[in-house]
Order: sequence, then C-alpha cells, then structure tokens
Amino acid sequence: MCSAVTAHKDPKLPPPVELPEGPEWVGALKLFDAPAAETLVAAVRTLYPHDGLPERIYRRTVFHFDAMAAKAPPVAQSFAEFVDLVDGALPVKFADLSESYRVQVLKGIEASGAFRLVQRSAVRFLYDDVEVWQAFGYEGASVHLGGYVNRGFNDLDWLPDPPAGV
Amino acid sequence: MTAYDLDDEGVVVIIGSGAGGGTLANELAQRGVEVVLLEAGKHLTADDFVNDEWGGYEMLSWLDKRTSSGTWRVAKDHPLTPSWSCQVVGGTTTHWSACCYRFIEDELRAKTVYGDIPGTSLIDWPITLDELNPYYELAEAKMGVTRTNGLPGLPANNNFKVMYAGAKALGLNVSTGRHAINSIPYDGRPATIQDGFTITGDKVGSRWSTLNVEIPRGLATGRLELRSRSRAVLIEHDEAGKASAVIYVDGEGVTRRQKARAVVLAGNCVESSRLLLHSKSARFPDGLANGWGHVGRHYLRHLIQTVWSTFDKPVHMHRGEIMGGMIDDFVRHDPSRGFAGGYYIEMNSMGLPTTAAFMDPGWWGRDFASVIEQYSKMAGIFMSGEDMPQPDNRITLTDELDAYGVPVANIHYDDHPNDLKLRSHGYKVLTSIHKAAGAKRSIEAPAYPASHNLGSNRMSAKAEDGVLDGHGRAWEVPNLFIADGSNFATGGACNPTLTIVALAIRQADFMAGRMAAGEL
Repeated sequence: MCSAVTAHKDPKLPPPVELPEGPEWVGALKLFDAPAAETLVAAVRTLYPHDGLPERIYRRTVFHFDAMAAKAPPVAQSFAEFVDLVDGALPVKFADLSESYRVQVLKGIEASGAFRLVQRSAVRFLYDDVEVWQAFGYEGASVHLGGYVNRGFNDLDWLPDPPAGV
Repeated sequence: MTAYDLDDEGVVVIIGSGAGGGTLANELAQRGVEVVLLEAGKHLTADDFVNDEWGGYEMLSWLDKRTSSGTWRVAKDHPLTPSWSCQVVGGTTTHWSACCYRFIEDELRAKTVYGDIPGTSLIDWPITLDELNPYYELAEAKMGVTRTNGLPGLPANNNFKVMYAGAKALGLNVSTGRHAINSIPYDGRPATIQDGFTITGDKVGSRWSTLNVEIPRGLATGRLELRSRSRAVLIEHDEAGKASAVIYVDGEGVTRRQKARAVVLAGNCVESSRLLLHSKSARFPDGLANGWGHVGRHYLRHLIQTVWSTFDKPVHMHRGEIMGGMIDDFVRHDPSRGFAGGYYIEMNSMGLPTTAAFMDPGWWGRDFASVIEQYSKMAGIFMSGEDMPQPDNRITLTDELDAYGVPVANIHYDDHPNDLKLRSHGYKVLTSIHKAAGAKRSIEAPAYPASHNLGSNRMSAKAEDGVLDGHGRAWEVPNLFIADGSNFATGGACNPTLTIVALAIRQADFMAGRMAAGEL
C-alpha cells in the first residue's frame, strides 16, 4: 500500500456515495435484497481480494451493480442469475464459504454471461473508487491542481536521469 | 455563423470531424471551397472534459453497438466494442495521445518489399514517399510536432526514465519521440502541464486536435458550416452515378437531405465502410463504390500491445504525458527476424481504472490483485506494429438495425501467422527493456479495442485492387472521397494520425484544383 500521495476525483464529477456502516448499508440499494447484496459483496472480494481494503469499498462496487440493474431489467436478471448460481453451487451459502471454495465456485461458472457481467463490472467500479486510488497510489485528476509539471512528473530518483533533450 | 441551404448543390459535404474530416474541412475552406461538416457527436469544449478515465470514455467514445468475430482476442474481450473511436466534434483527435511518426519508403511499397505472403492481400501504395513528404511537412508544422520546425521534444517523465534506462542498457535508440503536444507555447496554444489526461479530451489545449485548431479556423473563413449531432445514414447518387446528397438525422431526430457538389466520408473505418455498404442502389447493388467488392475488406488495426511491469520502487507513471517515449530500432522490415514489417516501441501509461480493465480482461483472483496493488510501482511500454491485410478481415453489415435504421456493423478479424510472429517478437523485446531497468515482473497485456482502424476502403494503383485512387477518390464515383484511415493501402507501423492529416491536406489541394478547373 502506498500512502505518499493524495487521490483526487475530477471536481466536476459527483463524490463517492456515502453508505451507512454496518449491515444497514443495504438500505441504500434500489433493487437488490440484503442476501443478494451480501453474496455479491463476497463475490467481488473473492474476485479482487485486497485484504487491506475496507468492506465499504466492496459495498460501493455492489451499489453500482444495483444502479446498473435498476436501469436495465436484463442486467438485473443476469445479476440474479449469478447470485442463484453461486449460492446454489455448494451446500453452504456463497458468502459463508471459505475462500478456496468460493474460488472453486467462481471457476465453475467462468464461462457464463452472468459471471462475465459481475467480473467486468467489478473491475469497472472497484478500481474507479477514489479510496482504491488512494490505497494503490494513483492520484487521478490533475488539471485543477496545475497538472503534474510542478508536482513530480519527473521525480523518479532511483534511476539515472536521461540527458537533457533526449 | 455561416449556414448553407439544404438544397445548395455547391457545397462539399464532409461526414466526420476528426483528423481527416476536420482537417480537410479547414483546408478546403482556406482554399475558398464551401463546406458543410456533419458530425454525429456533440460540440463539447475544454470546460466539458473531465480528468477521469471512465468519465472521459463515456463522454467521448462511439458507443453504438457493433459486433465482432474471428480469432482476434478483441472478439473475446470486447465483443460489442471491438473498435475504439470517438463520437464528438473533433472525433478521435479529442482522445489521441499525439504520437507523430511518418511512414517509411518500404512501408509504402509493402507488396514489393515484403513479397508474396500467403493469405495476405498486400499492395503497394499508389503514392510515393516523395509525393507525401511535402504534406508531412505541412502537417507537422500545423500540428506543432515536437522535434520538427525547431520545437523541442517533450521532457522525460518518470515512466520514460524507466524506458530509457532499459533501452540504453540494451543499446537501443531511445528518445521521448515526436508529438503534436506543445513542449513550449506554440500557435496560440500553451505548453503541456503534464496532466496526463490527453485521452479524455485535453482540458489544457496543449495538444493539437481538429476541435481546437482546424475547425475554429475553418469556421473563421465564413465558408465552413459545422453541424454537430448530425448522423449521416445514407449517401445518394444521381443518374450519372455521382454522389448528390447525404441523408442525415439531426439532433432533433429530423431526417434531412443535404445536397452536395462532392461528398467526403471521414467517419473512421467502421462508419465509413458501413455507410458505403448501406448506400445501395440499382447501380451499386453491393453498396456505393463497391463494384470491385473491396469496401469493408482488408481491415487493419495494427499490432498493438502493452507490457506492464512492476518495480521495487515508485514510478508514478500516471504523471505526465502518457506516450512520451519512442524506440525506432524495429521499424524497418528485416527478414532475418522471421516476419514481414516492423513496429514502433512507445511509452504507455494509464491510470489505475483502465490499467486494471485492460491488463488482461478476464483475469481475477489473488495473483491479479497482487499485481494491480503495485500500481504506483508500475511502468508501461507499448508497441504499434504493422498487421497484414487479409481480404476476409472485414467490416460487414448484420441483420440488426440501429436506432437510425442502419444495419449494425460486424468486424471480422483473423490473426495472420505473420501477426503472431511480430507480436511475440515485440512482447519479448518490451519485456527485455523493462527487465534491463530492474523489473520484478512483467505482464503481457493484449490489445485493447482497436484504435488504429485502417484500410477498409483502401487506395490502390489499379481500380480492381481497392476502392480509391491515390487521391482518396472512389474509382467508381468521381466526386466521392474518403479522408479517414480507411483509405490506407497498407497499415505501416506508426500511429496513423499524422499520415491521415498529411493525406487530407494533399486531398484538399487535389479537390480545390479540380474545382478550379471545373472538373469537380
């Protein structure tokens, strides 16, 4: 983890959604019920397991899934299908499985459209979260801060500097 | 504001306002020609753009559905968005990263130099480098290309320091390259502030685009009318077989017919081929200008791929201009490498959102997580190489209609064995450069959706080999032209925009000359 930088979202864009801490976060969802939402959170964490990231980031990703589903019934159907697939795969509900079993379940459905939707959407939203940017050292928007011309665009110091004008 | 009548038969109608169409519109207007420029997208300004990878992608990209097929990995990774271009005034010049390299002589004589390669449909270009060079010079001057006309190169940034160290250790010829991005103020535009967001619109304006240079200058002549949110759907011809009008749907959803003295397609490969194929008539039953059956064929997209490597210490590759590095040791055709054609090595950086999305779509689990967590210690290096034209790599129409009643396009692309050999060679070299700079681990990332779309309405010396003559004019329709990269006879290795601009300036000379002579 890298904490030497500060991440910025473009000020023109809405700030990240603030979800309530604790299980009541599901109250912010339009479509998913609590069990489906918790299954999806477990799925995103299994797909992209960053042990240092707090649960709220994974919940925000699922919050975006919910917004996608609320806009398009076929997408909602695919998310529902995914939840059914992973919760029905083994005698234990997906979110309660240990990690190796969760991985096994996901590998078993990799070829499905429902898996593809969840996996691609997870990448799309998880790594677009400004708290993830901060954690992994991506600073994001810069023009409103004057770019990086005076903020380290050439501050790498562990290799020799190339000759001027190269 | 200049406004032409829909029944004005004296205007040249250009479809698409990117590198080809936007440049041609200005160049024609400067020569006294009256032009209507149709652009499907909105007219955005620097204030509208955002410093945000996905926000910019959704704001600028052509997101209408397309389908894909063939052995290329794009068909698996990005089946409904196989091609990446923009739908906005300025076209893909609002998004490009501004690398400006010229074709070399061998590439313009690909058939002669590379020889007979089974499965390919190589031809030589109908024009020579000597004919093109004066236009390259004009293009470089108007675009403010670094390391031309006394303009300094972009300064080295962090990602470049890594590339430089590795390349020097291997004895390669490395520099920050040549870009249409101001390293110092030029032509009324400021120097870069190294913001790293050229690809989401460039809020600063240090990079040349048709949005910030060509179109405003064309409008200032009083001879150019820009119609944004105007989606061309059909090209009509008269009884003599000449293009006579463009049917388009305006921003209010009203279908219009603009009469035309000449029509120019510049909507990027997929849209230009799609419009020709869709514009069928009794005289052109397989689509306009498609009597020889080449419209949509020989589609090219360059052999593009990135290697992302992790290092022990921070790189912060996102800081600064994203492609400011170039190695040209592998550009020339060298049969001893075991494949035809060559490639440029260039620097590449992306923010965390798109690095994660494009590193290896479909990759998940602890291994992926352990790599992407290293984002701040990651460097990127990229290549653009020549792919082989094949007749069945092509744009076709499907049975599905879009919201405008035009069939959705499919892009079919099978990798040629030569493509695979070049890709493999390139991955090894890219990785060796990063290893020489101390990389711990290197990831061979596949191509993202095709951004160098070329060749699907190609120029040829003989009518039976292509769609267009050496001026980008349809062999079968004497007042129909193409000004985008679909007019390339073969792809070469370099990023295509500089060549598209040079060809558009040359085309403007040709068209204005013909008009002055009363022949167009």
